[in-house]
Amino acid sequence: MSEQIEAAALVEAVAAFLQSIEGELSGRNAFHAKVAGNALGIVARELAQAPRVAEQAALSAYLGHDAGLDALRAELCGRLRAGQLTPETPGLLLALSEAVMAKVAVDNPRYATLARMRDA
Amino acid sequence: MPGLPMNDPPPERLAAVLARAVGDVVAVTRVAALSGGAASATYAVDAVRNGTPWSLILQCAAAGDVADGALPKADQAALQRLAGRHGIPVAEVVAVLHPDDGMGQGFIMARVAGEALAPKWLKGDGFAAARAALTGQCAQVLARLHAIPIAEVAGLALPGGRTGEARMRMFAHYRSFGVNSPVFDLAFAWLAERCGDAEPDAIVHGDFRSGNFIIDEHGLAAVLDWELAHLGEGAEDLGWLCANAWRFGIWQKPVGGFGERDALYDAYAAAGGARVDRARAHMWEVWGTLRWGLACLQLGHDHVSGRVRSVERAAIGRRVSEVELDLLHLIRFGDI
Repeated sequence: MSEQIEAAALVEAVAAFLQSIEGELSGRNAFHAKVAGNALGIVARELAQAPRVAEQAALSAYLGHDAGLDALRAELCGRLRAGQLTPETPGLLLALSEAVMAKVAVDNPRYATLARMRDA
Repeated sequence: MPGLPMNDPPPERLAAVLARAVGDVVAVTRVAALSGGAASATYAVDAVRNGTPWSLILQCAAAGDVADGALPKADQAALQRLAGRHGIPVAEVVAVLHPDDGMGQGFIMARVAGEALAPKWLKGDGFAAARAALTGQCAQVLARLHAIPIAEVAGLALPGGRTGEARMRMFAHYRSFGVNSPVFDLAFAWLAERCGDAEPDAIVHGDFRSGNFIIDEHGLAAVLDWELAHLGEGAEDLGWLCANAWRFGIWQKPVGGFGERDALYDAYAAAGGARVDRARAHMWEVWGTLRWGLACLQLGHDHVSGRVRSVERAAIGRRVSEVELDLLHLIRFGDI
């Protein structure tokens, strides 16, 4: 560890703070504090799992060349809009599934569809 | 509170509106904001009519007027009344605001007793009988709604167009965010191959889902939120009701977290609705799921653009990936 307090440690500290004041909040503020705590959970998982790297790997493997994630996404979208790729194009649905599963594992790991897709 | 008009409606003005509508002496004792959606603001209104307590709901356009092309509040009220006349359970409309009332567009309706929070009635022990009855009741409501001749709403500014136009509008909405989601583009391509370009032939509720019902111990007490009603194809309502987002985690029950598709379709046909084509219903489920995905993008955009800064909206923006996964499941396996 090159830093005493890395980003993950800060996120954890803020999440613990939010939890500590939960009992003092009510109504809308209590609800938003809960949402904020969940949002920090997403940040913590994103730091740990680097989903953009996994998504980039899935998309570049499918397209057969390397590029930044935003460029890969834009290329896929452009080719779908132009009809050069379609839902029937071999391998496309599987590549997108792999990319999106990495995202959902960060955004909402308990989402039921994630387990269903892994078992599929 | 974001999303609400600058000022809450003054009680004395609401009392005057109510007195005008019913010809009685009315006092308003409390006006409490319930929710601030993107388009509408809803208030609980406690009134006293001839000495008797009277529980009401006020719904008005969040910005005073509805957006261009949206259903005017007076027309929404008229449609709700029409639905009631056709035997659909709705809150009775009591009064419609006039421009002279100085409170923008809106209307006042009865407050229907029951549970509006879907997770409560979907999971609560006291609602088992209601849940058992609900699939049939939803089917009957939709069959009745879709059977109303559209000539009956000729005087109302209901939006609507051909299916293909609706898809193009939805695509333009997606592109307006400047976001590149390969899964959303895939879903649009999938829909383009299947949705066709039919003329609208029915009144579509447009937001018929578990979160828009009032449920009592017998089941469906009222269908709320008619603000997204439009002319289209009735099966759109069936698909939206089955979108995974409205199952509140009870994904094993595809109809709103409480029912089975076959039971819904059979009851819909038994109540006079068209026999549901499974492939068509599936198309509308994909459509509805994508539509929810665009709503997530819109809510995230509200935060990013500064229109409504909110941790809740920012967090909902991250639900886009759930929708993408649901779309992939629907398209790969024909079901979710």
